[in-house]
This record gives sequence, structure tokens and C-alpha cells, in this order.
Amino acid sequence: MRLAATTILAALVVSPGPATAQHLSPPYTEAERAAILAHGPWPPLATRDPSNRVSGNAQAIALGRKLFLDKRLSRERNRACATCHDPARSFSDGRPRSLGRSLHDRNAIALANLRLNRWFGWAGAADSLWAQSIRPILDDKELGLTPSLLRERLSADKRTASHYHRVFGVAAGADDPERLLVNVAKALAAYQETLVTGRTPFDDFRDAIASDDRAAQARYPLAAQRGLQIFVGKGRCAACHFGPNFTTGEFEDVGIPFFAEKGRVDSGRHGGIAALRTSPYNLLGRFNDDPAHATGLATRHVEPLHRNWGEFRVPSLRNVARTAPYMHNGSLPSLAAVARHYSELDEERLHGTPDKRLLKPLRLSSQEKADLVAFLQMLSSKVESRR
Amino acid sequence: MATAQPGGACPPPGEDFQHLAAGNVEVAYRWDPRALKVGQFFSADVIACRLPAGISRIAIDATMPAHGHGMNYLPKATETAPGHYRFTGLMLHMPGRWQLTIELYDGNTLVHRLIRDLDLKP
Repeated sequence: MRLAATTILAALVVSPGPATAQHLSPPYTEAERAAILAHGPWPPLATRDPSNRVSGNAQAIALGRKLFLDKRLSRERNRACATCHDPARSFSDGRPRSLGRSLHDRNAIALANLRLNRWFGWAGAADSLWAQSIRPILDDKELGLTPSLLRERLSADKRTASHYHRVFGVAAGADDPERLLVNVAKALAAYQETLVTGRTPFDDFRDAIASDDRAAQARYPLAAQRGLQIFVGKGRCAACHFGPNFTTGEFEDVGIPFFAEKGRVDSGRHGGIAALRTSPYNLLGRFNDDPAHATGLATRHVEPLHRNWGEFRVPSLRNVARTAPYMHNGSLPSLAAVARHYSELDEERLHGTPDKRLLKPLRLSSQEKADLVAFLQMLSSKVESRR
Repeated sequence: MATAQPGGACPPPGEDFQHLAAGNVEVAYRWDPRALKVGQFFSADVIACRLPAGISRIAIDATMPAHGHGMNYLPKATETAPGHYRFTGLMLHMPGRWQLTIELYDGNTLVHRLIRDLDLKP
């Protein structure tokens, strides 16, 4: 099987003539075609978050954007959300592990297409974008505020306080500090959920596959086509990086060491579920604006499992080429390093018995690794704020 | 998991309910929504049509045998009528081959496992 795949790839590399060299021939198997089509269409329809009553509200979005950039949200007034989620860096920070008031254990996840998430953060400790937005405000390692200090700072600024009043119908200075904290997080979420990535060369190619437009297919670089074939085929990447946002939104252990430092483990999803269940801000709690709490379905049914240790959320691959470094701890500096990681996985590090593992070392050739990277580079697009 | 009791005759096989049987056990089931999609929560309506004596509990589960893992969510059961159950909170988070199982227990002892193979397409 491996020999056959190698032979096909070799034939593709030497096939002459622009008319035949720009698409794979035969193009794709039915299974590959179905797997490719499942990664679109793009963009998805914008939807409101029923758990956030100001989701989609223009005034709330404007307030959220202002607060996202506001350094008064940090104790020392020297950091904002945008410090680690820098708009100029596709809303990430380019660092392996983020530096807030002290060094964080994890890499800052790039912010885009967040309405498609079921869980937030690398461990899924939050089940809504607004709940996720509360954590860094309070976290002593990140912005380090308290609800009371947040209220004091907001109400001291007349323009921001007035904006808050217009959105939430109550004066910031008169609001309960915890309620104000949640409202601020909901405004931040209203802004962040407008951040979306546009169409990419892959999306054009995917639609050309759907319409069987061979001329349009031929415009997609051949190396990316070969990489895509690995992605949906022997690489089995699409098992987890599935769907239009290139993620199942769930959690996997992909063989990255989960020691945050010597003697201290980052428990990943296991700790995430524990934090979720005890959070007063989860979707089963009183701050959910969805009266039926239908948005809490996943939270009602999630249970910690032993295998959750060392699992981290499968990230979207949209804009992946612009958001290095990679993995929950930022330990892989480049897409080439990621391809190498999956090619040479340390099986001893993985859960489960060897014959029953999704992940196995791919043993990719240098050409195959380069093709996979070429495909991943075709998933980039500018992050824009759209309603 | 729910306390089990016989639910009477199975509905006729058709577009709605499908049957699983082994020996003196027969259950009928249907999904809601009918078509399963990767990453989408669904419910299962299960009727315990024939149960041997001693079966006290019924449960539903799903696994991916080739990957050695199951679902990430724990289904919860409600008995809607004697022998009729609604399981909520099922979700198959990956494309590929899944085994959906309806399990019958005598106390904590698994007595029957009825298996339905399912190839969840992308």
C-alpha cells in the first residue's frame, strides 16, 4: 500500500505538460472527494449566540472592540486582550507561551471564526466565548483584575461608562461587580465573534471540486493538491481537522509532552472539564441568557474520562500558516516541524494500544512533508470584523 | 442508563424504527434527527420490545473500534413510557466506522450487547 502511494506520487512529479500537470489524474477517489467537500462551503452563515443577549448588537460590538484594546483591563494598565491576541498577528502573539503578568503555560490561540466553537481555550474550560473572556481578566497570570476594580475603572471613564449604560441599560457604577464583569465579557465576545477569516485558495479549489470545474481546479498549486490528498488520505489529518473550520472542536492527545515544567503537569482536557463544571459562568448557570438553556447541551453531557489527561483542543487550521508557533505549548516553531512531528510520532508517549490508535507515525518522505505544508499554507486569509 | 422493563410489541420495521435482536432480546430504535452527522448531537428513542427475565437496566454507547475510543459525552436516559426510553446527549465526533451498542444489564453485570455498525461519512 505504501509502495503504491509512493509510485503514484512519483508519477505526478514527473508528469509533463501544464494541461495535465495542474490537477491530479485520476483526480480523487469518491472517499477523498467527499472528505474534501466536507471542508466547506466557506464562509458559514453568521449566527447570534443565544447565551449572550448582546451578541450581534452593534453598540455591544463597538464597546467590545474598545475594551479589547483597553489596557485598563489589566491591573498595571499595561496589557490588553490585544497584547496576546494582536490584530497585526492574526490575533495571536507569535510567542510559544504567552507572557501576561507572568509566563503562561500555553500558547495564545488565534482568534477567528469563534462562533463555530463548542469549547474555548486549549482545555475547553469554557463553554461560551463570553465565559472564556472572563478568565484572562481575572487570571492573576494574565490581566489580574477583580470585578470591583473593573467596575471602578469603567465607571471612572465617562465615555466608556456611558457606552456601557447604552448597551446594558444600567450605569456601570451602579451595577453589581460580578454582573458588570459578565457584561464586559459579553461585549468582548460580541466583538470577537465578528472576527472571521475570508475565503482562501483552498475554498476556491473545494468549490471547483464540487462543481467539477477542472479549469478552476487547475489554478490550485499541484503541491497543495498532493498535500490535500495526504491530508484526507494516508495522513488521516481530516479525522480531527474536520469540517469547514478544519476541526471537530473536540480534544486529542497528539503526543506533545504535557509537562508545563519539571514536575508539573498540564492536565489538559481533564482539568478543563473540572474547571468547567465548577465555573459559575458555565452555560448551566444563571448568567446564560438563553432561557431554555438549550445552549448547555454539551455541558450537561460532558464527563471527565481518564483519557482526557493530556488531551488538548484540536485547533482550526484556517490561517494556520500565520499563527506559528504550534501546539498547546507552542513547542513546534513551524509547519515543517508539525509535519515532522506527525511523521515521526513517539508511539510510547500515546494513550491506547498500538493496534487501536488513530495516530501512528506517518513516515512521510521529504516531498510528502513539503506537500503537506504547501497545502496548509493555502488556508490563509485576512481576519476581518464582519457582522 | 435507565431501569429496564419490557415495552411491548416492537413497531414494524420501516423508515422510522430499526430493530436489533439476539436470542430472546429484541429492541427497536430510531435516531433524532434521523440522519446522523459528524459532530452533531442526537437523541435515540429505544423500545425494549422483548427482554429476558432479570434485565434491570438499559444503556446506550458508541465506540470507534479502530481508534480505541468512544464518545466524549455521556448519554442520559428518560423512560417516556413503560419500556420506552429516550437517550439524549449522543454525539459522534469523527467520521469513520462507529459501533453503536445497546447494552442490557442484570444489576451491574452486562448480559447482552446489541451492536449496530455504522460508517459515518464525512
